[in-house]
Amino acid sequence: MAGAQTTNTGTRAVRVPVLLNSAEDSMPEYATDAGRPFLGFGLGLRTDHYQSVVDERPPVDWFEILSENYMVGGGKPLHFLDRIRADYPMVMHGVSLSVGSTDPLNRDYLRELKALVARVEPHWVSDHLCWTGVDGRNLHDLLPLPYTDEAVRHVAERVMQVQDYLGRRILLENVSSYLSYQASEMTEWEFLGAVAEAADCLILLDINNIYVSSHNHGFDPMAYLNAIEPQRVMQFHLAGHTWHDRIIVDTHDQPVIDPVWALYAAAVRRFGAVSTMIERDDNIPPLAELLAELDRARQIAAPILKASAA
Amino acid sequence: MPLRALQRDFQSALMAGSTGINAQLVSTPEAGAARRLDIYVQAYRLRLLDVLEGDYRKLAACVGDTQFQALAGAYISRYPSRHPSLRWLGQYMADFLASTPPWSGQPLLAEMAAFEWAQGEVFDAPDATPLAPAAIAAIPAESWADLRLRAHPALRRLDLTWNVASIWLALDNDTEPPAPRAGDVPSGWLMWRQDLDIHWRSLSVDESWAIDAWCSGARFAELCEGLCEWIDPGQVAAHAAALLKGWISAGLVTALLTD
Repeated sequence: MAGAQTTNTGTRAVRVPVLLNSAEDSMPEYATDAGRPFLGFGLGLRTDHYQSVVDERPPVDWFEILSENYMVGGGKPLHFLDRIRADYPMVMHGVSLSVGSTDPLNRDYLRELKALVARVEPHWVSDHLCWTGVDGRNLHDLLPLPYTDEAVRHVAERVMQVQDYLGRRILLENVSSYLSYQASEMTEWEFLGAVAEAADCLILLDINNIYVSSHNHGFDPMAYLNAIEPQRVMQFHLAGHTWHDRIIVDTHDQPVIDPVWALYAAAVRRFGAVSTMIERDDNIPPLAELLAELDRARQIAAPILKASAA
Repeated sequence: MPLRALQRDFQSALMAGSTGINAQLVSTPEAGAARRLDIYVQAYRLRLLDVLEGDYRKLAACVGDTQFQALAGAYISRYPSRHPSLRWLGQYMADFLASTPPWSGQPLLAEMAAFEWAQGEVFDAPDATPLAPAAIAAIPAESWADLRLRAHPALRRLDLTWNVASIWLALDNDTEPPAPRAGDVPSGWLMWRQDLDIHWRSLSVDESWAIDAWCSGARFAELCEGLCEWIDPGQVAAHAAALLKGWISAGLVTALLTD
């Protein structure tokens, strides 16, 4: 297949690149896995880059927005959101669903999320497999859950509620973690797989988070990748991190490091053509630097996908 | 331990430094449970501090880094976030500073906080299409007395006793700020959004009153009547009409209601 295909999620038909031309124009044709839309290579949309994106229309296949940043009345955030959405496919990524919390789901938040979905018409909506607070408080951090059957049932039930309310499946992302619980009865990947299976939701696999947590908890990142059911994986995140005295912290303020690129290559071999993006949340460089980093993802994925398509 | 109890213990560790959760955590040779937990404790504090610094840059500059950290820590303890978005974390800062020693002893700080928070509100308040200046010519003569205005949602009115706007501007330009100075009475300020940018200006006492009045639903005749406190009755209708033209051309008005 050459050129572009049209996928239709929501009401707006978006042309999604299947043939991606790299800088050297050496990118091969490849097909997406059956049933999985492939958006190509994207970036997290950040305020620092609004004007560049509007003025320069950079070669980014799609953008991921942080949902909460656009849950406002109007002004610049929604102005730039609408302008950039007109030019690029988007997905929505939240940090406050707190799907693992034992508080009731926040109905006001879900209402705002649904309204934003209607505005953006994203290809998909994601949040994290974590909790962010209890008793009405929000700690604004992606806190780890104990990997127990109780937590699987609890989270899966809530994911199903969210999916029912939004009228669509959501993606859950694996978080970086720095601690684990005595109570855990299974591995993180077993936990993620069990929740996804029980709730029939999709997965946003953060390659850097797997790397970070594998170091912090001493597991084999390949065991993680190999345990995840490929059909559920809809998106990859790539990011940089920071060492803090023998623990790696997921700071999203540095370039992606070589071992994470290697893990990404392994993920592409296992999962095929999965929409991939770089997350940079702090120490944000000029857009050109991120575009170069994104080209590296393209260059890593291209030969693997070409070989698997042959 | 049930999930809810575990989450409460974890949250207490982050918010209050309690250690009840530690026994539930795994220690490894690389790092013990306390050290691992501390990463979350520090991240919680730093993340919220960072947000408050971003919302209150000039307030932070006024008090200095050390004081701001103390102030932000006290604020976070008093007003932990209850909102899904960090956008609203700092919403009580002006009230907090006005009512909490030692900061309440420096009333400039609460006013600076109010001034900076208003900028944020103006920045992302709902959109509305401003009324075109030509609309004023279309008002039938007999409708003027009953005329009411609909304000743009991004319009904010502030009353400031201290010279916070001058201090803010100097700090923003990286120049030496003027000494804090209090007026005898608060002066009115208007803040609004035009072409997505934030604007503000000081107001005369009559215009302050008039904006407050029309934002509360006063009719044009009531505006004129009230303005007579400062304006000669023979001039007051023309004066009020001139104010109205100014508001419309600044994009402050989104509708003229004549019902």
